[in-house]
Amino acid sequence: MIIAERKPMDEIKRMLAPYKKVLVAGCGTCVTVCWAGGEKEVAILASQLRLARSAEHNEISIFEASVERQCEREMVAEIKDKVTEVEAVISLACGAGVQTMSEMFEDKPVFPGVNTTFIGMPEKEGLWVEMCGACGDCFLDRTGGICPIVRCAKGLLNGPCGGTRKGGKCEIDPDKDCAWVLIYRRLEKQGRLDLMRNYYAPKNYRAVKRPGRIQAAKA
Amino acid sequence: MNNCIVAFCCEHSAYPAADLAGKLKLHYPENLRIIRVPCAGRVDLIHILKAFEKGAAAVMVMGCEGGACHHMTGNTRTKERVKYCNLLLREIEADGRLVAMFNLSPNAPHKFVGAVNEITKRIKESGR
Amino acid sequence: METKIGVFICNCSGTLNNIDFDAVVKKVVELPGVTSIKFISPLCLEEGKKKMLSCIREENIEKVVVAACSPEFKEHVFREVLENAGLNGHLFSMANIKEQCSWVHEGDVTGKVVELIKMAVSRTRLLQPVKMNNFSVNREVLVVGGGFEAINAALQLSRAGLRTTLLEREAVLGTGTTELENLCGFDINAMVMEVKGDENIEILAPAEVIETSGKIGDFNVRIRKGGEEISRKYGALVIATGYQTKLALESKLKSDVNIVSQEKLCHMLEDPELRIRPRTIGFMLDFADENSRLPTLATLNNALAAKRKWGSEVYVFCKNVKVDSERIERLYQEARDCGVMFLKSDVSPKVAAENGKIKIEAKDIFLGEDINLTCDVLVAEECLLPAEETEALSSILNIRRDSRGFYQDENVHLYPVASEKKGIFFIGGCRGNLDLSRVLTDVSSVVVSIYKLLSSGNILAEVERVKVDPQKCVACLTCIRICPHNAIQLVRVDGGKEVAEICDLACEACGICAAMCPAKAITFQGYRDEEILAQVETIGES
Repeated sequence: MIIAERKPMDEIKRMLAPYKKVLVAGCGTCVTVCWAGGEKEVAILASQLRLARSAEHNEISIFEASVERQCEREMVAEIKDKVTEVEAVISLACGAGVQTMSEMFEDKPVFPGVNTTFIGMPEKEGLWVEMCGACGDCFLDRTGGICPIVRCAKGLLNGPCGGTRKGGKCEIDPDKDCAWVLIYRRLEKQGRLDLMRNYYAPKNYRAVKRPGRIQAAKA
Repeated sequence: MNNCIVAFCCEHSAYPAADLAGKLKLHYPENLRIIRVPCAGRVDLIHILKAFEKGAAAVMVMGCEGGACHHMTGNTRTKERVKYCNLLLREIEADGRLVAMFNLSPNAPHKFVGAVNEITKRIKESGR
Repeated sequence: METKIGVFICNCSGTLNNIDFDAVVKKVVELPGVTSIKFISPLCLEEGKKKMLSCIREENIEKVVVAACSPEFKEHVFREVLENAGLNGHLFSMANIKEQCSWVHEGDVTGKVVELIKMAVSRTRLLQPVKMNNFSVNREVLVVGGGFEAINAALQLSRAGLRTTLLEREAVLGTGTTELENLCGFDINAMVMEVKGDENIEILAPAEVIETSGKIGDFNVRIRKGGEEISRKYGALVIATGYQTKLALESKLKSDVNIVSQEKLCHMLEDPELRIRPRTIGFMLDFADENSRLPTLATLNNALAAKRKWGSEVYVFCKNVKVDSERIERLYQEARDCGVMFLKSDVSPKVAAENGKIKIEAKDIFLGEDINLTCDVLVAEECLLPAEETEALSSILNIRRDSRGFYQDENVHLYPVASEKKGIFFIGGCRGNLDLSRVLTDVSSVVVSIYKLLSSGNILAEVERVKVDPQKCVACLTCIRICPHNAIQLVRVDGGKEVAEICDLACEACGICAAMCPAKAITFQGYRDEEILAQVETIGES
């Protein structure tokens, strides 16, 4: 799932400074699940903005709306009426959502209200960890299902480095596990330790053509 | 609501403490408005922020003493939430100390009044 | 059409004399939704309630606001009136104009009273009814454990008419209870015989729980007995898996024959063939484990017995003697009177074995002197630990343990024998409660709680007071992870989309989930966002 976090208020205030009628648009999928851009967060940001602007004696009128997935044109179309009424939109969706909105309403500035940070999973409620770097050339078959590209601080394909701490922790951050120690243990459990002997050539990240485009086979 | 103090009071602790303050005829400022909630854990950021939008001078969230929450984690979670609300206020250059969490037991009317006086002091200090 | 709200005002027999009620009535009458306003005092006595009831009926009032004292005291009284009048008890709010207004402020508070009533009215306009329903429950109980407390609980549950299964890991019941027998004079064998002869009690031993699911009134438990696995259904589970003790000793001293446990000393005291009576006995207490209630009891009992039977010199090295449970204070006094010496030290004394004797070096903080003592027998300190299976069972049941590994009570002050999951209870040793009187209290509280829950075969509970809207739920699992009562589950709606669902029986209506849901999919009747915000928005309007 895509993980995002709310942008600092300063930035949001700066983006919206010239406008008096704004729509705060939430998205009901990934950013709701990661507590960054769902209906609840929309209400909080709207309230915070109103407070900030009224303290500056520069009142702002704010509309709130959320759609199920902001990265779908059809779903974004549902809030068309609200968008036409405002001067600008601040979207709490991921980058894909912001761009979909932007494309749908080209005459309106659509600003990002969150920073889209990574693809991850929850470790517990309220804490998300990065799991996938979307590199486009999945490596997990060789590493026991643990991605060293994002979970190793150095992104090493051939690990561990010499700096693993006691207890299998990372030398850069003692709170984090060394991905390569995790990989070793996982492969050990599966009786596939021989994979550790392989040498993997540097990954050609340019294999991923930007912008990415995927055509499903039978579509 | 010009310059009212909104107090969200847990029905297991702060609310009965406020009742006891009444029974003992302790006095606190008249601008206090108590809203009864089943647990401090029910109080959400939007409730606090809306109170400020409506012109509240300060918002108090009052729950059970640490470790004595009827729902185990209600008061600790809300403490975190109030801390975050502090940040949200500071982000918009408001005085973060005007939202505060207080923990007290139902038999602590003096502590209740003390908390109200404390927040009143903070309001004065912040110049409202 | 707007529902009709009736406002009832009471001045508590004239004790609220700083309010101008005429002015209040004039203002309140103008509020939207208010169709009737009555001043009745005192409202909470029979006559007042009768007037209120007839007014609700005559004027077809649909929702009620009472402006009087605190809901803490009188909410249930007025709710009953509503229900007698055929209204849903949840369509009701109180404005606390006594304790939280009239009595705490000097001077005229009419303005504040009007505002408090306004707040209550604006909340009441939004209130929705909450239905009650009888949920049928399984009346059988599973007791896990085979010790004194488990047997005791099973017997009492059976006497209360609840079919009980006693599940014990060992092949025989009542093992590991010698200490209790010695300390308290219970006849475990007689109790085991009684359990075996009880038609209402089924014994599964040796057996173990391997999986549980479900909720109060309907737990599914998979049990391994012998080579086979069986599935059973129970209405409630009682965990009484007890504790174990470990000698707090350096490893090189463990094999020393002159260093013994309390239990060993008991056997020595009872042994008619014991040839040499120890002349000097030392005890260690409260150094390694501060939760020393049971060790204190054992130490005092055994010290007294040794003194009386053998006439030995007895020294108790301790950090503190904890005399906070029944009988202990008296025992301590008796021990002192008999000449048992208590030596208080901050740090654990040094212990060494020498020529078949035990040398103890300690510093007494009262005497301020070093004490060197050679004794024949040293009774080592015992640390109390949860039974071995505690960890495994807690993960099977999905309930928490405390920092020492014992089961965590839901709230040690309020619901001491309940787990966070409704319908699962703890007794005695497994929750760290070790002395007998407390264990017996535990047994009684658990039996009473379960009797109350299951005896009628039905539990009356509110239906969907706290509810997840499956349309809005994004299955982020936040509520499931944070519910302190373990009352929320992930379910498939009609075999399709996965959403969170709140179990009405297990829900304690705290509203933590409603506050945390990022999709605002959870509504808590009476405390919905709308209802709370309606009050917030009314503040200061006048």
